[in-house]
Amino acid sequence: MTMNILPPNSSAIKTRFAVKFIQAMKRLSKRRGMGDRYKRYRATRAAACVSMASAVGPEWAWSRAVLRKIKRRRLLRQFRVSRKRRLIERTTNPRQNLGFGQEEDLRGLVPGGKGMDYCSLLSETAHYITCLQAQVQVMADILHRSSP
Amino acid sequence: MEKEGNASNIFSASSDLNCRIFRPNWENSVDQNDPFESALSSMVSSPTASHTNNNGENIVLRELIGRLGSICNSGEISPFNNNSANTSCYSTPLNSPPKLNLMRERGNNHFLSLPTFSADPAFAERAARFSCFANRNLAGLNELPPKLDPTKIPPPSVQENWESIRAPEKNFMASRSSTPDNAADSRENSTVSEQIPIPENGANPRKRKSAPKGKGKDTTVTNVSASENSESSGKRSKSEEEKANQKASKDNSKLPEPPKDYIHVRARRGQATDAHSLAERVRREKISERMKVLQDLVPGCNKVTGKAVMLDEIINYVQSLQRQVEFLSMKLTTVNPRMDFNMEALMSKDMFQSRASLYPSDGYPFQSPCGNEAPFPPNHGRTQGPQMENFGDAASQVSSFWEDDLHSIVQMGFGQGQMQNFQGILPTSQMKVEL
Repeated sequence: MTMNILPPNSSAIKTRFAVKFIQAMKRLSKRRGMGDRYKRYRATRAAACVSMASAVGPEWAWSRAVLRKIKRRRLLRQFRVSRKRRLIERTTNPRQNLGFGQEEDLRGLVPGGKGMDYCSLLSETAHYITCLQAQVQVMADILHRSSP
Repeated sequence: MEKEGNASNIFSASSDLNCRIFRPNWENSVDQNDPFESALSSMVSSPTASHTNNNGENIVLRELIGRLGSICNSGEISPFNNNSANTSCYSTPLNSPPKLNLMRERGNNHFLSLPTFSADPAFAERAARFSCFANRNLAGLNELPPKLDPTKIPPPSVQENWESIRAPEKNFMASRSSTPDNAADSRENSTVSEQIPIPENGANPRKRKSAPKGKGKDTTVTNVSASENSESSGKRSKSEEEKANQKASKDNSKLPEPPKDYIHVRARRGQATDAHSLAERVRREKISERMKVLQDLVPGCNKVTGKAVMLDEIINYVQSLQRQVEFLSMKLTTVNPRMDFNMEALMSKDMFQSRASLYPSDGYPFQSPCGNEAPFPPNHGRTQGPQMENFGDAASQVSSFWEDDLHSIVQMGFGQGQMQNFQGILPTSQMKVEL
């Protein structure tokens, strides 16, 4: 609750994200080009998400979930091990569930949303939205600096 | 029975005082006339019945003090009902009817009331003597250890209802506040102390209820007092445990000294007062708080009311933001080969944040890079923010527009080749995403 009250310090997060993202992009471009544009796109997208999550820090559940997912993917790619999906049976509070499946949708959207109760899901969503906005701004900024 | 004699003397004096003080205020107060009158009349009549019973007497004394406090406060505070917006006992309720505000104010002013209450100094002295007397009496009754300091530690029955109160003023206020709890249904409000450990778990393991909400008045009072006294030792040990586990619970109360470990919730009139519904209400209020925060974040949600529509909007917004990120990363991959030599330049530009934007709609004046290179990183954080936001708003608007209509990319001057690439990649990526 205390974390939710303060809006995230946008400029600090933006600079941290920008630095990390640009470093990641550098590394990507230096890699022996995969040639496949789709793979590169996925790598760029992953780099964006990872740099955002690491700029945010481990105090938020969604950033931890993003980092976990990326790490797992890398391990999977190396070792080709199928991982067991941890199924969490959640009984949604009938009051909150308005019958349109919105809560599940939200849980699907926010990384790490499946393992949270509704209250923290909402606060994580709020923080996630602000970080996404910051991310979009920084990436658009980078793009428009580099293109002309 | 010297104690009894003293008690009866003081009690009669206070009852006189009651009549003197209460009557004028009863005319002023709006809603609470009938219940308070009935309560007071029952209380005034009750001492004769419970004269012989020390326990009952002490309870009655404390009830009196509570009544005095509450009614005095309500009389004084009723003109100032809606002044303080935030109520202290519980998280901010969004849609509380004004009637309940009145009661909440009253309830709050139990704790803030010491200055107003002591407006009548003689009465305050007498009441203070009451509380000490009650404490000492109870100490004698329950054979508490001699180290029990009446000024420091509240009597056990009071302590059960309000664990956190330690200071002498609080002791006094606690005695006053607990007495309405001890009285049965005549009070509309009942206080419940909840402990909500952080991180907030669903179950609240230790909940304290005030007096049982039965309909009987005298008998429940005495029964409650007896049960409370018997459970006092057990609950006190528990409370000491809880204080030992001092977790920084969220402080909803506006008491001058923060209550320890408990979220004090006041039940509303006409609503169930058992632990489950109270916890449910706290949870609902938390959720509505966060929905408000989200409403401020998501653009265009101010007109929307209702949780379902809000959630839909939130979901759509999150999806659109994620799509924007993917879109931008896609563009960045195509641009990337040309970015190699630009990386350092980009980073330095980010540091200095040249204010030149590529969008004419941005509205920011073009500033020369040399002018911006002088202020080094200490300034960049501050200056970067708002302008980036402005730029970003334009960018996000435009990019969302792009998603809708791919042909507009041509107008933005990205070139035919890139557009074809985008058209090839975009549908496949979206398909992947929607899996």
